[in-house]
Amino acid sequence: MNPIEDRKLLLTRRHFFGRASTGIGAAALASLFAREARGAGGLPDFPNFAPTAKRVIYLFQHGAPSQIDLFDYKPKLKDLRGADLPDSIRKGQRLTGMTAYQTQFPTAPSIFEFAQHGQSGAWLSELLPHTARIADEMCIVRSLQTNEINHDPAVTFFQTGFQIAGRPSLGSWVAYGLGSDCEDLPAFVVMVSQGVGGTQALADRQWGSGFLPTKYAGVKFRSGAEPVLYISNPAGYDQTARRRFLDDLARLNEIEAANYQDPEIATRIAQYEMAFKMQSSVPDLTDLSKEPPETFEMYGPDSRKPGTYAANCILARRLAERGVRFVQLFHRGWDAHSNLPKEIRGQCLQTDQPTAALVQDLKQRGLLKDTLIVWGGEFGRTVYSQGTLTETNYGRDHHPRCFTVWLAGGGIKSGLTYGETDDYSYNIVKDPMDVHDLHATILHCLGVDHTRLTYKFQGRHFRLTDVAGNVVKTLLA
Amino acid sequence: MILARAVWFLLPVLPLGAAIDFNRDIRPILSDKCYVCHGPDAKSKNVPFRLDSEAAAKADLGGGRRAIVEGDAARSELIRRVTADAPARRMPPVSSGLKLSAGEIATLKQWIAEGARWQKHWAFLPPARPAVPSVKNARWLRNPIDAFVLSRLEQENLRPSPEASRETLIRRVSLDLTGLPPTPAEIDAFLHDRSPDAYEKVVDRLLASPRYGERMAFRWLDNARYADSNGYQYDGERSMWRWRDWVIGAFNRNEPFDQFTLDQIAGDLLPNATLDQKIATGFNRNHRANTEDGIIPEEYAVEYVVDRVETTSAVFLGLTLGCARCHDHKYDPFTQKEFYRLFAYFNNVPESGRAMKYGNSPPLIGAPTPDQQKSLAELDARIASVENFLRRREPRAMPHNLDTIDAYWAPSRQLNFVLDPQSAKAVAGTAKFEPGRAGQAAAFDGKIYFEAPRAAQFDIEDRFTLSAWVCSDGTPDGSILTRMVDDPKGRGFGLHFDHGLVHFNMTYAWADDAIRIETEQPVSSGEWHQIAVTYSGSRTADGVRIYIDGKPQKTKVLLDSLWRPFHNAGANFAQPLRVGGGWGPQRRFRGRIEDARVYSRVLDPEEIAALAAGESIQRIARKPETERSAAERLALRSYYLEKAAPAELRDAFARLAALQDERDKMERAFPTVMIMAEASPPKKTFVLTRGAYDHPAEQVSPGVPAVLPPLPSGAPANRLGFGQWLISPANPLLARVTVNRFWQMYFGTGIVKTVEDFGSQGEWPSHPELLDWLAAEFVRTGWDVKAMQRLIVTSAAYRQSSQASPELVQRDPENRLLARGPRFRLPAEMIRDSALAESGLLAEKIGGPSVKPYQPAGLWKEIAMQDTGEYVQSHGADLHRRSLYTYWRRTVPPPEMVNFDAANRETCVVRETRTNTPLQALNLMNDVTFIEAARFLGQRMMKEGGATDEERLSYGFRIVTARRPGASELAILKSNLAYHRDYFSKHSPDEYLAQGEARADASLDPRELAAYASVASLMMNLDEAVTKP
Repeated sequence: MNPIEDRKLLLTRRHFFGRASTGIGAAALASLFAREARGAGGLPDFPNFAPTAKRVIYLFQHGAPSQIDLFDYKPKLKDLRGADLPDSIRKGQRLTGMTAYQTQFPTAPSIFEFAQHGQSGAWLSELLPHTARIADEMCIVRSLQTNEINHDPAVTFFQTGFQIAGRPSLGSWVAYGLGSDCEDLPAFVVMVSQGVGGTQALADRQWGSGFLPTKYAGVKFRSGAEPVLYISNPAGYDQTARRRFLDDLARLNEIEAANYQDPEIATRIAQYEMAFKMQSSVPDLTDLSKEPPETFEMYGPDSRKPGTYAANCILARRLAERGVRFVQLFHRGWDAHSNLPKEIRGQCLQTDQPTAALVQDLKQRGLLKDTLIVWGGEFGRTVYSQGTLTETNYGRDHHPRCFTVWLAGGGIKSGLTYGETDDYSYNIVKDPMDVHDLHATILHCLGVDHTRLTYKFQGRHFRLTDVAGNVVKTLLA
Repeated sequence: MILARAVWFLLPVLPLGAAIDFNRDIRPILSDKCYVCHGPDAKSKNVPFRLDSEAAAKADLGGGRRAIVEGDAARSELIRRVTADAPARRMPPVSSGLKLSAGEIATLKQWIAEGARWQKHWAFLPPARPAVPSVKNARWLRNPIDAFVLSRLEQENLRPSPEASRETLIRRVSLDLTGLPPTPAEIDAFLHDRSPDAYEKVVDRLLASPRYGERMAFRWLDNARYADSNGYQYDGERSMWRWRDWVIGAFNRNEPFDQFTLDQIAGDLLPNATLDQKIATGFNRNHRANTEDGIIPEEYAVEYVVDRVETTSAVFLGLTLGCARCHDHKYDPFTQKEFYRLFAYFNNVPESGRAMKYGNSPPLIGAPTPDQQKSLAELDARIASVENFLRRREPRAMPHNLDTIDAYWAPSRQLNFVLDPQSAKAVAGTAKFEPGRAGQAAAFDGKIYFEAPRAAQFDIEDRFTLSAWVCSDGTPDGSILTRMVDDPKGRGFGLHFDHGLVHFNMTYAWADDAIRIETEQPVSSGEWHQIAVTYSGSRTADGVRIYIDGKPQKTKVLLDSLWRPFHNAGANFAQPLRVGGGWGPQRRFRGRIEDARVYSRVLDPEEIAALAAGESIQRIARKPETERSAAERLALRSYYLEKAAPAELRDAFARLAALQDERDKMERAFPTVMIMAEASPPKKTFVLTRGAYDHPAEQVSPGVPAVLPPLPSGAPANRLGFGQWLISPANPLLARVTVNRFWQMYFGTGIVKTVEDFGSQGEWPSHPELLDWLAAEFVRTGWDVKAMQRLIVTSAAYRQSSQASPELVQRDPENRLLARGPRFRLPAEMIRDSALAESGLLAEKIGGPSVKPYQPAGLWKEIAMQDTGEYVQSHGADLHRRSLYTYWRRTVPPPEMVNFDAANRETCVVRETRTNTPLQALNLMNDVTFIEAARFLGQRMMKEGGATDEERLSYGFRIVTARRPGASELAILKSNLAYHRDYFSKHSPDEYLAQGEARADASLDPRELAAYASVASLMMNLDEAVTKP
């Protein structure tokens, strides 16, 4: 963004505005200012090269799903059930304060069956029967690692590339760098759904813009009457009255604009028009009543219930269709410290079918090829049981040393399983991938060189990948 | 050559035709484009060549090559490299992502050609008070600020704008000094005041208003990352509003800024520190604090100290010292070691990296409000008067009839429980009471214990005392008095014997969420001992006192890391008080227990001693007075005044007890505030390799960076010394940075735009001499904050009209040259506060706990932890308090504040930012806060505005904009009113008028009111309504 250029642009328009200040319809204004109105036109020279993905749908599984029970098949663990985790594996690595005082670290193999799926033969647990159907679309990375061991810093690290709050989120960086392809919706949309397992707190700043201007912050869409805060007119006041209100407001603001040469006035007029458009575009987006029954069959029974992960997956597809640049879903409830088998069953019931449906749906609409899907949590879970290990129950603590994330679409190699962990799913033995590498790779798909997407703040040229990050080329199609 | 420099983005800031100035023109290029590798931290990249010092930059690089050859650009390696054609040789390298523009290269060439003169970084040089420049148009000047501004304008061949209209001026200055728009009466008074100092009178009125302190405080809260919650994962409530109120008061009292600074940095260390000075140190406790289960506390303890260093250096020094946490600073001359020497000042705090899950974390103090302090003083006076009365009337010698009384005395105030056959029921056996030491003792066989379901229902923030006479069979072991899950590591609290030692614990989780403390000395078996423990509710081991036989014991703290209450996450902690049990079946007590007692307060040592005196009143009374111990005297006197004295004395004594109970109750209701304190013994500080908490390297002592002036002589090696250094006249930064932030408040941008960074990456000041003059003036006036605001807002520069020609806007879009008055969108809090003021709903109460105005339902629930509570909206006047009193939950901040670019309150923010988004439009049009405010503005128009539509609309428009509408504006407003009249004649106005909780005057015609409310909403949505004119 170049503020001087922006202002010049506005000034030029302002001149036009001055000459034609009578009789110019607000609707005409709206299209005139569409670029400014959506808040971000993107940076010059971005994308830096031809992108393979135009947009991202990031399915954040909040609380950290267990890689051992879903993706990282460890047949040898069956025989080691209950045995203490060997020091040769743990290597004195730090544990969270929740299990650091445990005197034993009993190995807890997954009680769920695994099988290979698709042409690619990807190993998936029985908890993911629907995901199994899209195995050949997926690129499963079993070798993610993070520095963080507690939820808030770990999510902050995933979202902003740094564990301490204050930096922009991934979606904000993308909105800042690339702007939006959609005229009447925000560039970065966030939706949160509730799980049935151990639930941890999120924070608005996880999709915040940090030190970038707030217009790049994610806009949270909510279920219910007000999908976006304050989007509904007050009760008893309809859209016809609002139209008239805005026309008169624009006229009054035009008079002010003629008195002051302040380009902000013109921008404000445009933003009110954009707000008006959102008042119809957002309800239109979130109104699923015109979706055919097949949609709901595909996304599963929850999908008729607003606010569920399944309903949000349908919305994600609709947002992708409208060209929204970055959609991020957060599904809570994966923090299974003590009753993992029961909790993960519930979580998978909520998420497995809609996730698979989203990928298939995008594919059948021709959108998967330029939409990058990312699925994953903030860290993994321990192979040893937190609390008592029984035949049918165990818990798993936080594990930052290895976990699984998968990607699909948008220029990602399909049917690939990448990275390997040891027999305990405790340490990575092949192809480790850092969070910054994931960020660099996501940006690469969007045609962005992660070292060039910078913003000067406090004297430093900050970037999402801080001082690290490598594009993992093997993952690219 | 002028063109060369005009290319880069500071275009309007550089005076035309000036010669190259190293600090202004060259350092920014070298810093931004070269220092990442060739700067202060070059060694970490194994780069031998440095450009951050003159000697290195001009040194012989071998073979006679020099990066900079004074006067000869062509022979300078620097120029050769930045102009090299071969990508491999060209600097900066492609991989850096950095590029030099043609203009920058030309500037470098010119600088070298002119002799490559080097300067120390300007901000580290002490500000000299520059001479006020002379100008051509001296008539324009109102104070010295104007001379600096005009001198620059004259260099640029620009003329200042005419003075703004009075309506504009009063709106501008009222918003700037109080955060609220002027009322029609205030506007009229100003318009009608023909005296030459009419404007200055307005300024003085505003500076004297208590609203001024609130306005100044809001920005300070941003700087200090103030919030009502802890942040991070649980983000539970904290209570720092006493600090917030102190800030408001300090601004309103016009506390000199050096004192204001020193109080916040080291108020606790000042001699005879007042309560206010201790509260002030809350500044450095406002950072986030982590309470997540499973964190490693040491890791976060480091983060808190880092935050203090970063915040303190950004706010008071305008430096980005946080950059030197992991390595030497890339741009400025600060080493990593120097960062940790500063760190050492803020590290020595007796705190844990894991904060209390609910409420404030130690160190903290009870911080009664001024009203509470007054009530307390009144109560103390009443207590003193009763005590005086007793002292006067009591007999000098104890009456002899006491020597017939075969009874024991024990304190009775706030007695919660005494063990007797009625007060508790026996479990696992039959109760056996037998004659004991003085009365009836219960016998314990290692199985039996007693339960009292309703006694001792304390949690970790409550105060209490447990006490008993105990005689144990064999080595004392097992429980005495407990309220805990009956398990060796159970949740709850208990007074036990542990292998002969007296042991007390408060436990949420045995391993890491508990206080465990035991005596150094054992207790003998087969003998009666009086055992007592008091707990102050501090949630730390230092709130525990253990007594054996009335004597305070030396103790050993086994664990001191309690952070969750027994009722954590809303749990029902339904344990009974147990006597002789509670630590699991293996640890039941064997022996006898007599007179087991629980108090809901902390008994003082004399009272405990009296409990342990062990003598009956009769026997004490029979002793000669000189042989009675202090405890015995207390017991005897208390018994007498309670039971045996004449009615007059007994009544007075009972009254005293009631007053003391009232005092306890009052004290418990005092708000607390987190403060700074010094740990003893002092904590050690180490350089942390790559900033990691678990990689300590060299140990360091506190100290300040070498590039800045040394500490004043005699300054102590602690925060006080650091504070004295900050405010010392030698410090080149404090005054500059502070006046620059003030400037930003009025003009939207600082004289140094990068208000947070006065280092080499910071931006060159638009008016360097003005900045230094203001800094010097600030110090000269004794850091008089109000005088500085007055100086700025009474300048001609400030009073200019903000109307501008398109040419001027194009030439200077950010108005850095100040050829026009400031004009920009109001900050978030002023937008809401203005609406409340315009509606007449604003509640003017100052201070107090934060309030929860309207907020869309469910925002907390959707993303926060369930057990940290739902947003419980306030009612009545608390819906309409100024926005600085709005409850700020860090993880889910108030949406209106976020929409309008308020600082995030996660970390220190000193730069003001403004965006312009559709979400802001939706917010102003549809948020119930603004709909309700519009209804009341509509009501004001109808009731106060006059008889005709024109009068009423003009009145409302004037309330919002401070001016009367022009004819074309009035025509639009009238037409809009007509539209809404028609609209509400066809649609019911009921729902529209039912928004929010404040009810409009029922006598008004609802359709007419709805129409006026709609026009009022239109007015409040005007660009002008949310803009400082």
